[in-house]
Amino acid sequence: MQKRIILQRIFLCVLLGYLCPFRLLAQDHYQVKALADTDKIRIGEQVKLELSAKVDLNQLKAASLRLTFPNLPDSFNHWEVVDRSKLDTVTNAGNNETFFKQTFTLTSFDSGRWDIPALRFDVFSPAGMVDSAFSQPIGIDVNTVTVDTTKAFKPIKSVRTVAWNIWDYWLYMAIGAAVVLLALGLWLYFRKRPVKEKVVPAAPLEPVYDRTLRLLKELDAEKVWQQGNVKEYYTRLTDILRTYFEEQFGIAALEQTTAELLQNIKPVTILNQQRDKLRALLSLADLAKFAKLQPTPQEHEESMHKAVEIVEWTKPAAKPAEAQNA
Amino acid sequence: MENTSQDIRQLNEKIHQASAFVDLLNIELGKVIVGQRYMVERLLIGLLAQGHVLLEGVPGLAKTLSIKSLSSAINAKFSRIQFTPDLLPADVVGTMIYNQQRNEFVVRKGPIFANFILADEINRAPAKVQSALLEAMQEKQITIGDTTFKLEEPFLVLATQNPIEQEGTYTLPEAQVDRFMLKVVIGYPTKEEERHIIRQNLNPDGMSAINPVINPADIVQARKLVREVYMDEKIERYILDIVFATRHPEEYKLQKLKPLISYGGSPRASISLAWAAKSYAFMKRRGYVIPEDVRSICFDVMRHRVGLTYEAEAENVTSENILSEILNAVEVP
Repeated sequence: MQKRIILQRIFLCVLLGYLCPFRLLAQDHYQVKALADTDKIRIGEQVKLELSAKVDLNQLKAASLRLTFPNLPDSFNHWEVVDRSKLDTVTNAGNNETFFKQTFTLTSFDSGRWDIPALRFDVFSPAGMVDSAFSQPIGIDVNTVTVDTTKAFKPIKSVRTVAWNIWDYWLYMAIGAAVVLLALGLWLYFRKRPVKEKVVPAAPLEPVYDRTLRLLKELDAEKVWQQGNVKEYYTRLTDILRTYFEEQFGIAALEQTTAELLQNIKPVTILNQQRDKLRALLSLADLAKFAKLQPTPQEHEESMHKAVEIVEWTKPAAKPAEAQNA
Repeated sequence: MENTSQDIRQLNEKIHQASAFVDLLNIELGKVIVGQRYMVERLLIGLLAQGHVLLEGVPGLAKTLSIKSLSSAINAKFSRIQFTPDLLPADVVGTMIYNQQRNEFVVRKGPIFANFILADEINRAPAKVQSALLEAMQEKQITIGDTTFKLEEPFLVLATQNPIEQEGTYTLPEAQVDRFMLKVVIGYPTKEEERHIIRQNLNPDGMSAINPVINPADIVQARKLVREVYMDEKIERYILDIVFATRHPEEYKLQKLKPLISYGGSPRASISLAWAAKSYAFMKRRGYVIPEDVRSICFDVMRHRVGLTYEAEAENVTSENILSEILNAVEVP
C-alpha cells in the first residue's frame, strides 16, 4: 500500500514536472488586456472596448504556439456589438515584442451597471489548447437621461433647416442648363438659316372684269348651243358668272344655289340692281341643266346678252376693286 | 330609258297636278297645328319617300298632335306606342294567345299594325324592343308564330327621342339610327305662334276637327310619282360629293374636318338623300330635282349619319357644323 502511494506521488511529480515549465513558459511570453474608453455612458451611447495582447513572438514561434483573441457574440450581457475592427499588429523590433489589438464598439439600451466579463484569450499548440488568459472584467454604468421634472415642458422643436448644398440640386441645374443650351442652339440655327424670300403674289395678268367678258365672248364664239350642247352652254355660262361674282365681290357663288345666290347679292347694291335679270338667267339655266329644258334660240341669245349686261353694269364697281388689288 | 325634254315637261305637268294634295294637307293640318311647318313638311317628305322619321325635341312640341292630325287627314290608321323600360317585343308586334273555346292559338296583332306609328321616347325601351320595331320598319312585315303579315301601305314610323334625359335610356346604336331616313330636330314655336296655340287650346268650342282630304291609296300613288321625279346626273354627283365629303373631307379641301369625323355617311345616306330630294321636289310641285332640294333636306338626312370624334365633342362641334362646312365647300352644279 505504502509503495503504491509512493508510486502515485512520483507519477504526479513527473507529470507536474512535465507541464509546469510549459505553462510558466507560455505565461511569460504574452500578456492580455481589455480596456474601455469610459466607465459610464447614457442609453444608446457607444463605448470603445480595446482588447490587446503583448506577445514575445520569437518564443511563441519557438514553442510553435498560437494565440487567439476572444470571439465576442453580437449581443451579450445587455451589450450589443455595433462594430468590430480588424486585428491590428504592431511589432517592436528592439525588444522583439509584438502587440495585437482589436477594438469593439459596444452599446447598451438597458440602464444599469453592466459588466463586460473577463474575456478569454486561448493559446494553442499543434497538439491542442494548452493555456488560456483572461482579461479583467470591466463594469460600465449605463444611465438613463435625467429629466428635470421641476421645469416646465418645452415646446417641440421646429424642423431644422439643413444647410443649402449645391449637390442637392444638381439634376435641376443640369436640366436648366440643357434647356438653355437647346434654346441657344435653336436660336443660332434659326438665325443662321437663310430667310425665305416673301412670295409676292404676282399681279393678275388680266383683270377679272376683262377676263369674264373675254370668256363670255369665247363661249358665244364656240357656238355651243348651236351644236346641241345646251346643258354645257348653260353650265359654262353660269360658271363664268359665278366665278366673276366670287372673284369680284367675294360672294362664294360657286358653292351656292340659285336661291342662295339671289339672297346673298342683296348687300352688293350694284349687283342687286340686276337681280331680276340674274334670276331669269339662273332659273332658265337651272331648267336647262337639271330638267333637260330646251330653250329657244332666242332664249339662248338673250341669256348671253343678260350675262354680258350684268357684267357691264357692274363694271364701275369692278374697276376700283381691281385697281385696289393691283 | 333616257328621259327627253318632252318627257320631263309632261312629268312636270303631271306632278304639278298630282301634288296639289300637299297644299290641301297643309291647309287641313294648319287648322290644329300652329307653326311647326318645318316638322310637318319633313313628315310629308318621309311619307312620300317611304322613309321613317326620328324626331328630337323636348316634350310638348305637338309631335303627337302632328302625326295624329296627319293620320286623320289621310284617313289612315294611327297607333301610339309609349316606349318604357319594361316593354316587350310582343307588346309592339303582337303575339299568339290561346283561345280556350276554340282550343287553338290565335294571333293577336300588336299596335304596329297601323299606317302611322308614333314610337314615343324610343330610347326608353331596351334594345330588343327597339330592334323589333326597327326590323319591322325595314322589312315592312311582321312574323308572329309561323305567320308573316305584310304591313299596310303607307307605313310611317315617327319615333321621338328626348334629348334632355339620358339616365335610364337606351341610346339607339348608330346602325339603328341609320334606318331612319330623317332625323328632325324641332325647336320651340315663336312668341306669336305660341299666343295662337294658347288661344286655340282655350277656345270654348274646342279645337277644330281634321277632315280627311286624301286616302292612303293616294299616298301610294304619289309615291310612285315621286320615284319618277327626274334627277339629273349633275345632281347625283352633287349628292355623292356631299356624302363623300363626310367620309374623306381632305379630298374636298376640308382637312380640318378630318379629326372631327369618326365615320361618314353610308350608301344608305346617299339613297336617302336622293329619295328625300325627289320628295322635296314633288312637294314643291316640280318634276325635277334642283340643288336647292338637296340642300334643303341635307341636314335632316345627314345629321345622324355623321359620327363625331371625342375631339369634336370636346370642342362642342356638332354634326350640323360639319355639314355646314361641307355644303359651303362642295361646288353646286
